[in-house]
Amino acid sequence: MGGKHRRIGGEVGWRVGSSSFATAFRPFPSRSRFKMSSRRNRVSEEEINELISKLQSLLPETRRRGAGRASAAKLLKETCSYIRSLNREVDDLSDRLSGLMATLDSNSAEAEIIRSLLPS
Amino acid sequence: MADGEMTAKERKRKRGTESSSSSSAAAAAAEEEEAKWRTEGEQRTYSSRLIAALRRVRSSAAAPTDRARSRALREAADRALAVSARGRTRWSRAILLSGKARSLKRSRVLRPKPPAAASKSSRPPLEKKTRVLGRLVPGCRKLPLPSLLEEVSDYIAALQMQVRAMSAITEVLSAANAAPSPPPPPPPPQTM
Repeated sequence: MGGKHRRIGGEVGWRVGSSSFATAFRPFPSRSRFKMSSRRNRVSEEEINELISKLQSLLPETRRRGAGRASAAKLLKETCSYIRSLNREVDDLSDRLSGLMATLDSNSAEAEIIRSLLPS
Repeated sequence: MADGEMTAKERKRKRGTESSSSSSAAAAAAEEEEAKWRTEGEQRTYSSRLIAALRRVRSSAAAPTDRARSRALREAADRALAVSARGRTRWSRAILLSGKARSLKRSRVLRPKPPAAASKSSRPPLEKKTRVLGRLVPGCRKLPLPSLLEEVSDYIAALQMQVRAMSAITEVLSAANAAPSPPPPPPPPQTM
């Protein structure tokens, strides 16, 4: 029995009375991969709300002004759709760009473009 | 541009009034990095990287169809974006590794699942949306909500810059396409 317990939470001292072995070897707050679920929940709620309100400032202006203090769930959903729309925009731009690159054939035109875009 | 900087400063000030734990210091540092996505210099650097990648894609005969070309271009743009992130974020590292490590990833799928209690770090209604969000950002599928939100903020800022840079290049290229006369007009001052 000693060997089995040692595998789970070796740090708990063997000096603990045998009656509290069961409780002592529950997932106790250590750096094991069983994250301290209940204690963490209380702290991270504030963190989460903080981060989510910061996220709100990243969403496009139009949505920000109207919402004021939107709920976390709504903000998460808006974030998802915003990322999707950004991705779609980039895909769209890639389409257009690849089409343009195909039709452009002279190197001099490209050189001029590059010159106009880079600091000289 | 001033707008973006002011927002970053406002956010920094708000953070300064919070208790200074190590986590908020790290968060403040992350915000500074995020603000870089809005600077003109960063966008120019990204544009030149992108153009170099575009030329490579075009010269390689690997993409015959329109769709394949567009996909190759998107991948090149994403990779250039990930390089700009300088390896500081998870999503950028995931993009950079996406070509080579895909086969490795498949073999590592069978990992012992943590017990249900440990995997729930947020309330149930948020968890579903958290999972959806995690799937949208590269390399962030199993991230808990706090770290995921940091990655998301950075990812969104980077995507916004990507859109700005690619739009600008598209504009220049379509103008050059329409009027391919050799003497170009003096480039207008870039106001971002």
